[in-house]
Amino acid sequence: MDLDKLLAVQEQCINDNPPACNTECPIHVDVKGFIGEIRKENFEEAYRILKKRIPFINVIGLVCDHPCETLCVTNTFGNAISIHELEKAVVIYGGRAKIKTLPMPKVDKKIAVIGGGISGITCAYDLNQKGYNVCIYEKENRIGGSLLKMPGQILNPKLIQEETIKLEEQGIEIKVNCEITPEKLKGIALEYDAVFIGSGEWTEKLDVNEVTLQTEIEKVFAARRIVSGRKSVIQSVSTGRCAAVSIDRFVYNKSLTALREKEGTYKSILQVDITHDKISPRIEPENGTFTKEEAINEALRCVQCECHKCVKACVHLQKEKLDPKAYIRTINQNERIILGDHYANKTINSCTECGLCGAVCPESINMADIIKETRKSMVSRNKMPISAHDFALKDMEFTNSKYFELIKHQPGKNNSKYVFYPGCQLSASYSEQVIKTYNYLMEKLDGGVGLYLGCCGAPANWAGRQEQFNSSIEKFQLNLEMLGNPVVITACSTCFSNFKENTKNIEIKSLWEIYDEKGLPGDAKLGNGKILAVHDACTTRNESGIHESIRNIAKSLNYKIEEPQFTKENTKCCGYGGLVYFTNKEFSKEVTEDRIKDSENDFLAYCAMCRDLFALRGKRTYHILDLIYGNGEDEILDMKVPTLSDRRANRFNLKKELLKNLWGEKMDIKDEYEYIKIVIEDEIRAKMEDELILEGDIKRVIGYAEKTNNSFYNPETGHILAGRRFVNITFWVEYQKVNDTFKIINAYSHRMQVTGV
Amino acid sequence: MTMKQDNNGKKSKWLCSKCGGDLEEGPVKVEYLEGNFEVELLECPVCKNVLITEELAAGQMLEVEKSLEDK
Repeated sequence: MDLDKLLAVQEQCINDNPPACNTECPIHVDVKGFIGEIRKENFEEAYRILKKRIPFINVIGLVCDHPCETLCVTNTFGNAISIHELEKAVVIYGGRAKIKTLPMPKVDKKIAVIGGGISGITCAYDLNQKGYNVCIYEKENRIGGSLLKMPGQILNPKLIQEETIKLEEQGIEIKVNCEITPEKLKGIALEYDAVFIGSGEWTEKLDVNEVTLQTEIEKVFAARRIVSGRKSVIQSVSTGRCAAVSIDRFVYNKSLTALREKEGTYKSILQVDITHDKISPRIEPENGTFTKEEAINEALRCVQCECHKCVKACVHLQKEKLDPKAYIRTINQNERIILGDHYANKTINSCTECGLCGAVCPESINMADIIKETRKSMVSRNKMPISAHDFALKDMEFTNSKYFELIKHQPGKNNSKYVFYPGCQLSASYSEQVIKTYNYLMEKLDGGVGLYLGCCGAPANWAGRQEQFNSSIEKFQLNLEMLGNPVVITACSTCFSNFKENTKNIEIKSLWEIYDEKGLPGDAKLGNGKILAVHDACTTRNESGIHESIRNIAKSLNYKIEEPQFTKENTKCCGYGGLVYFTNKEFSKEVTEDRIKDSENDFLAYCAMCRDLFALRGKRTYHILDLIYGNGEDEILDMKVPTLSDRRANRFNLKKELLKNLWGEKMDIKDEYEYIKIVIEDEIRAKMEDELILEGDIKRVIGYAEKTNNSFYNPETGHILAGRRFVNITFWVEYQKVNDTFKIINAYSHRMQVTGV
Repeated sequence: MTMKQDNNGKKSKWLCSKCGGDLEEGPVKVEYLEGNFEVELLECPVCKNVLITEELAAGQMLEVEKSLEDK
């Protein structure tokens, strides 16, 4: 597998990007994080998070002008989360949090800060933290700048005093009543390693670099405010911080400009969809500031922004607790293990490859493509568990054998402008309708409609068996050539997409489009205006023509259509895709249930397996052919689903019947021991279905045991137990002989082989 | 390899259909993928037919098969 290609895809995932509240904050406070802690009622941890980014938090936390709220995704009609009120609540309720600080080693460098306003003290604070000797020159009798001018009820001057003391305790020298004029700057510049002018009233015009804040005097840095005149508390903090970064780099001769794109405000690329979330109105503090409870409730309104559209849509990602990034990491590990267990095999074989994740992802990261590649790699390295896809692959072999395969021109014709390809599963579930459809096509289309019964290779494709898939496609192409390269009319969505993506110079058309274009059969009965929720097949999620045809057919038969939340290009899998039905049956059922809950209305499907899986889970589901060839009444819905054994028998019988009725040919194939009569009760039948044991397997075990007497006998019950190995599985059957029939008591199998006694 | 048929020391209810004799526990070689094991299984000492119970097939044997497949 191309590991680099996978890694590159992983980097495209936007989910780890910070939300707007973080990127709109000039100093990038982890708003989602601190609100997350309030939700857990942990105000002290919330305080620790705030303190990481905000200097003198006990002051700034109370007066921040909170640009973060403007682009909050919940900000409709002034409903944004009260981030600032929450910040204040954290200062009040979490301020006693113990915070460990490691003393930084002192640096033998001196920095002068001119002006003890917000940017000046931020710059001084940050550089002090890095170990510099910092001195603040303030022309007034105390530092604080614009903070001192704030009304007392918003900011108690005592708090500024407390923070000033803390700065001095940390070793910052503060010289008050000490005005530095442009004339004195030269002397200061000589004395210090660098200077920051934070003063808002600097008279000399300086040429300040927008990014680095460096002036034309190399070691002098100055606040942008002198240039722009903007007034914002948090912007001033950001300016001071920016200057501190520049000065630190300047003193150590490092690049002043490298990697600074994400300093200050920038646009978040995270995409958050809250159209399906209900946002309750803002909670207003009853007494000016939030009580703890009010703060917690307000914090609970926060949607904790993340993209994760894929995870929200996909039950597999939810179940495995993986997002694409984590999934790709897991795959990489699984790929690289040489010795030891491949823990992720089951996970990788539980993806339905339906592609919904890719359809909803803003970056179109499609796990289906990645899983497909991974399975191919597992097969090529001989690391794919044999049992995973064995049954489906053997089924494909059966379907493409003499038991089902049939390639014919229309009876009485020697060429085919079209060929009907009903597919293996429709032929197994709806064989009667396949015959009716073929007759319809022969009647409606000129130029000859051939018939091709077979399997499109889907099991091999899903199983990662590239060679097998390629050879089945090659064979298909050769057979089409023999028919004169007709237009292929498919009923099955999976055949449609496999042929469309993998054949060359072949026109593929969906049967549903033909019905839509050529009109429905004259005897099709109208429905009763019932509402049906359309379930589009995941293998044709991007085929809008097919989606439209299905809706047109249903509407013209007087049914109303409901579009579920996940529909058309965003449709969900029924639980069969990727062969999950065989590899992880329990999970396949969950996928089916997950889809069923998308609508209370009866479903309308157009893939036989979708219809069958829904029906198996008790969901009333119509196949589109039920509408076209039904009797127009509610009872058209037959909830019976053929077993795996029935499916094979139905395919075989369909071929037999078609050959006999349309071409007058007799098919004479007999299976080993097929004459054996067996009786199976429902419970055992269900067990066989779950364990993928066919009636044919059972007959062959019994037939062989009866012939050879290689079996065991229980004199108490009269039961016989016999086992026989076919290819790579040993089947065991416990049975009782009643006259000329055999009653099946139990059946089981194993793959391990007895090699010697 | 801890795979073992648990017969609880009881005599098996099954007899060999061919010779009508009792089954006995004996060492049997089994193989899956690249794993070769010797396990105590019920067999007819005369006809050499080996019986694998469902309990073993769906239990320990399945576990070992799965773990070998994931190696």
